[in-house]
Amino acid sequence: MRVTMPTIFTSIQSNLERLAGDLQRVNASIASGQKYQSISDSPVDVGAILGLTTEENQTLQYDRNLETGKTWLSMTLSSLQDITDIVRVSMALANQMATGTYNASQRQAAAEQIQQYMEEIMQVGNTEIGGKHILAGFRTDTAPFVEGDWQVQPPVMHLNSGSTGTAVSGGVYTGTASRSYLVEMVSGGGTGVGTYRFSVNGGQSWTAPAVIPAGPVALGDGVEVTLGGTWVAGDRFSIPVYQPITYQGDSHNFEIALGADSRMVINEVGSAAVGGDQGDLDLFQMLAQMKSSLEANDPAEVGVSLEKLGSYQAHITSILAKLGASLDRVAIKEEVYATLKNELTRQISDRGDTDLVEAANLLKTKEIAYQAALLSSSKAMGMSLMDYL
Amino acid sequence: MSGISGILQIATKALLAEQLGVEVTGHNIANVNTEGYSRQRVNLVTDIAVPSPWGPLGTGVKVQGIERAFDPFITARLNAKNSLLSEYQTRSAALEQVATYFNETQSGGLNDLLSLFFASLNDLADNPSGGGERQALLQRSLSLCEAFNSRADQLVQERLSLLQEVGPTIQEINEHTARIAELTREIVETEANGQAANDLRDQQQLELSRLAQLIGVSTYTAGDGTLSVSLPNGLPLVQGVLSFDLTYQVTPTDTVDLIWEGPGGTTEVIPTSILTGGSLTALLQTRDEVIPEYQQELDQLAHDFILAINQQHSQGVGLTLFDEIKGTYPVTDPLLPVSAAGLPFGDQIVAGTLNISIERNGEFLDAGAIAIDPSLSLNDIVVSINTHPVLGAYLTASVEDNALKIDANLPSDTFGFAGDDSNILVALGINTFFTGSKAYTLDVNAWVLENPNLVAAGQIDAGGAHAVGDNRNALALAALEEAPVGPDGLTFADAYQRLVMSLGLEAEEAQGQEIFYQGLVNQLTAMRDAVSGVSLDEEMTNLVKFQRAYQAAARLVTVADELYQTLLALKK
Repeated sequence: MRVTMPTIFTSIQSNLERLAGDLQRVNASIASGQKYQSISDSPVDVGAILGLTTEENQTLQYDRNLETGKTWLSMTLSSLQDITDIVRVSMALANQMATGTYNASQRQAAAEQIQQYMEEIMQVGNTEIGGKHILAGFRTDTAPFVEGDWQVQPPVMHLNSGSTGTAVSGGVYTGTASRSYLVEMVSGGGTGVGTYRFSVNGGQSWTAPAVIPAGPVALGDGVEVTLGGTWVAGDRFSIPVYQPITYQGDSHNFEIALGADSRMVINEVGSAAVGGDQGDLDLFQMLAQMKSSLEANDPAEVGVSLEKLGSYQAHITSILAKLGASLDRVAIKEEVYATLKNELTRQISDRGDTDLVEAANLLKTKEIAYQAALLSSSKAMGMSLMDYL
Repeated sequence: MSGISGILQIATKALLAEQLGVEVTGHNIANVNTEGYSRQRVNLVTDIAVPSPWGPLGTGVKVQGIERAFDPFITARLNAKNSLLSEYQTRSAALEQVATYFNETQSGGLNDLLSLFFASLNDLADNPSGGGERQALLQRSLSLCEAFNSRADQLVQERLSLLQEVGPTIQEINEHTARIAELTREIVETEANGQAANDLRDQQQLELSRLAQLIGVSTYTAGDGTLSVSLPNGLPLVQGVLSFDLTYQVTPTDTVDLIWEGPGGTTEVIPTSILTGGSLTALLQTRDEVIPEYQQELDQLAHDFILAINQQHSQGVGLTLFDEIKGTYPVTDPLLPVSAAGLPFGDQIVAGTLNISIERNGEFLDAGAIAIDPSLSLNDIVVSINTHPVLGAYLTASVEDNALKIDANLPSDTFGFAGDDSNILVALGINTFFTGSKAYTLDVNAWVLENPNLVAAGQIDAGGAHAVGDNRNALALAALEEAPVGPDGLTFADAYQRLVMSLGLEAEEAQGQEIFYQGLVNQLTAMRDAVSGVSLDEEMTNLVKFQRAYQAAARLVTVADELYQTLLALKK
């Protein structure tokens, strides 16, 4: 084949261009640390890297969600643990007071203590994280537990055998402290016959006996009771007056996303965990009743409250166990995501990052090839018959 | 004629012939770098022998002509491959340009922004009452919208810049065809006396090869040396000494029609699909077929994205309710059924119920449900809100700028949407997060942007309650990241990645083809140059050859002269 001038020079040019291009690419990949500078460099790898990056971002986000979950769960757990501690102390106190060895004034003092415990529980129950009440369901801007209006409770009756006495409490309390009105029949009989007396300090001091009237009896501070039926001497009842604590939140569970189809509840609804809903497991109601029983110097009722507290304790223990399990799940998920994150980072790096050793080697190879091409090209260009004529 | 004068004659002819050889060699050397030049050589033959007693006697050399070394078959193949190379070069350059807009190898690409958007929704779900989370979501949404907008815009710009190249390319084609016809005329005239017009033919070939780089053509050389050039569908661009122009116009659908202007004012539109080879083909096909495909894919992605997010968002409620709201999508005519009133998401409307909840001073007051049907007009919907037994007392609906507007009657009243299974809110753009319907128009709803508390992270309960800590809607929105969308069941990120990948593959393929045809062209060029190229060493050899022959011929004159002198000396 005839080799002509254009052939020689065109091939020198295109070869040098190609080598320079290769050199530039290797250099760019070393300088930027990235194997690919454009999506057309390796569309399949670039696509895979994009997928992996999305996955990595998701993993990082789920990990962030877990942080939120952990904060909520551990705050809830510690709040409820505090409450459990108070319940335990209350139970110990109730245990003492349920025995007959304590007198009315000692029970009054115990009632005061229970009042403080209730306030403490309310305070703990109204815990906030970053301005959000964690036990209020979705109503995080509202304190979940508030004291309601004063309420005159129905009487707690202790009737002797043969008594048919009935008492209906009523009136609007105008006082400022909770108390229990203790009413005792001095002599038996119905309206206009029987006599009664009452005490506001658990029987330490009594009013003078009076005949049962037809209408309501004013017990003071607006509290009234209407007596009916036929009483037996020694019949007793107490009318507790207190501010019941009510729950202001809602019953929604707050969830976070842990994965594509995986969510996790990270709150406890205050009404279920603590109370305020006047239900069977309302801690506030139990304590309020216990306090009233103490005020009324009624060890038997204190014993009833003790039993109720026992069942509440079992209830909250199971909630604590659930929270603990959730925290465990968070920890496991964190572990999983940490591993996944590492793995994804490694894969992205494997696919997208320049292998410096390999690239440096390649750069050297290209450099040598370029130099060799320059050398041989200059030789080929320099050859001419004219030099010999 | 033999004898000494015969010798002188032979010498003269030889001197002239060898001198011509040097001249042609000089022409070759001078044109060693001339594009399209085919080396020439003097065709020497022996002159007519004269009869002599000893048989025919040679009378020296004769110049038959000057020939050019040219292989029409290799050149034709080279032109065809050059044409394809040029097409792929142009296509690859354009695609590479488009690929840079979607260059996701660097951080901050749309893929990242999409991840960040959903991350913000997750953050909002983690803290639904947080103002910071709401602001972050809005800012990231704006970045995402901007990314969609700018990519759509860049695709439009790229089509525009390709269009700007179409005109000059067509003009160049017309210049080349005119030049070919002109050269054909000159060749015919020059060659009328039987001599080859070598340089004109080289020029004609050069024009042809340049034309082939612009548009794929087929050529046919007639017996008389005239050249016909025609398009792949047979329409002639050059026929003998006539040439026909091409022109173009942009159609109402924003595609380019290539028009052939035939004789006598006849015109014909050339379908882009029949073109093959040449940069014009690549320009037209990239502009009107390749880029629109990605535009459509990007628009579809944006459309699905807006629909999915808005659909979920419209089910929810923000931290505050509305005292007024105006739809972002206007209908063409408030009397037409909403499903056929030009709403971008009008096809989504189904028969269902729209629940509206009313609050007074922040407390739940009342609620009502409006029955929606795709056959209702916007005016019908306005009437059914205004005459609703419950809602009519609190709300006034109206049509403003052809969009639905709802106002609370009292300043103390606010309203929210407690679920809509008819998609009417999505279609009218009420309680939605995004506005627009495609990549270029995607934007964050101004209502939400101005009042971040309207980002619907929560939902209204059956009893009308809604709470600041409610993250149900935010969770549902965040879950859309993994939800399959579109007919292929891909997630948004998957769909975008597929777009990027197919664009990358297309650019890579064009690059690969370019490299392949470059190799082919290099090889054919070497083959063509093996025939037609000038080799300086060869020319040097020829130069010496002709010089020596010339010297020898001159010596022949000297010898003849000496013979004469010898003869004349006899007389003394």
